[in-house]
Amino acid sequence: MRAVVLDGIVLGLAFGLLGVGMTLVYGLGGVLNLAYGQIVVLAAIVISLLMEDGAATVLAALVGVLAAAGVAVLLDLTLMRPVYRQHGEERTLMGLLLTLGAAFVIGGLLTWRYPTGALYINVSGEPISILGVPMAVGSIWASVIALAVAALLLLFFGATTFGRGVRSVIQDETGARLVGINPSFVRTVIFALSGALAGVVAITQSMSGPLTVNAGFELTTFALIVTVVGGLGSVAGAFLAGVLLGVVNSLSAHYIGQYITTVILLGAAALTILVRPRGLLGR
Amino acid sequence: MLEVVGLAAGYLGERVVDGIDVEVRSGEAVAIVGSNGAGKTTLFRAIAGLLSTMEGRVVLDGKELTRRPAHRISRAGVAYVPAERHLFPAMTLKSNLVLGAYPRRPDPETLELVYDLFPRLKERQRQQAGTLSGGEQQMVAVARALMARPRLLMLDEPTTGLSPAIAQLAFEAFEELKKQGMTLLIAEQQVPLALSVADRGYVLENGRIRLEGASDELERNPEVRRAYLGVA
Repeated sequence: MRAVVLDGIVLGLAFGLLGVGMTLVYGLGGVLNLAYGQIVVLAAIVISLLMEDGAATVLAALVGVLAAAGVAVLLDLTLMRPVYRQHGEERTLMGLLLTLGAAFVIGGLLTWRYPTGALYINVSGEPISILGVPMAVGSIWASVIALAVAALLLLFFGATTFGRGVRSVIQDETGARLVGINPSFVRTVIFALSGALAGVVAITQSMSGPLTVNAGFELTTFALIVTVVGGLGSVAGAFLAGVLLGVVNSLSAHYIGQYITTVILLGAAALTILVRPRGLLGR
Repeated sequence: MLEVVGLAAGYLGERVVDGIDVEVRSGEAVAIVGSNGAGKTTLFRAIAGLLSTMEGRVVLDGKELTRRPAHRISRAGVAYVPAERHLFPAMTLKSNLVLGAYPRRPDPETLELVYDLFPRLKERQRQQAGTLSGGEQQMVAVARALMARPRLLMLDEPTTGLSPAIAQLAFEAFEELKKQGMTLLIAEQQVPLALSVADRGYVLENGRIRLEGASDELERNPEVRRAYLGVA
């Protein structure tokens, strides 16, 4: 039981990290980036290619994160411009369609060029015992990175002027413009941040097993579930939802069976929409 | 200080206001009065950059502001307080004020000045802005605008949703701001209240300036008395 819950928390931190990049962009402008998983995969492929060429893992990882951020900025400056000119439902719909298109293009190109592409960052070492449960070093590393990212994000949004500015755009865009904040610039920065987070996801996901070139849509699906359950635009909500869903996933995999877990997670998302449409910590 | 010349603005190609000439001199309080739907908010939104102007110019101290985005106009020194306030509801009152100074850090002196003007805000600084009363939210909106030390403060229907007593209190604060040298442009349906603090006024009707003059002149004007002061 203890091992199952602990596994769930590890998985949940990964979920949280996966969801936070999507929820921030959604909170800021109502766009669900359906290409999010493909950006993760893109970072993974970049890192794996660099590592094959003999680059040090840390350097390759850094370049991968920057590449993902770069692609995100490119998407924001091109594809997202017409989206943000729309308002309300039209913006949401157009955002879904265009990012879905981007998902197919990025995913398709990567699968075509690197059909067997995969990233596996081997973190070797003896399992470490936590609360009497032996945990793989890779999982511990991934969890530590996720927690560090969560802490940095909370600090950024809570204590910096720019972070406060981002929150103000989430809460009232007109009010933000009136105090001198440029929402379009804020959105570009957050899109870049979201891309960088996708790069970090590529790193952490590949520490406990290979991340393959066709993992994009599965990653996007999980990110969507976390976004819905956590509440849009909430960093703490994403991680809280992630951990909750991770534990639910582990428990149902252990007591019912692996085959049922995705259904149960989607059910949790549907239940959230019915019971608390704002999500756990959404406004 | 502010010059609006031949301004036209509206929605979906329809001109709501047209041919507007308004001037505000430094240290002056100017009122734009008119009934609901006369175009006061459209005019203010166009000056503040929330609405694109179709024709005409807006100039602040010789600096062209026409068709600049709202955040640039704000940073140029024009603070617009809309009737709907647009506070950040899930943040504390204090955070709202801190954001008013964006992108700079808030200047403690300005914060003190603002709290002197609205002592009640100091008591409530840790409260979430969304949970404040209407009058308090109005004060926060004005206070947030002042945090950037603007050159021109534009108040759009500042008495919306306020009781007469609170509205009176709000205008006393505006009077005090004027004494401290702030330049004010106030749009108001409550004409006597607006003219009580303003040096000059413009009467806006169906999107056009119908009358203009010193406040006491307007108060004596028979047309104004009939239409807005409830005198038969």
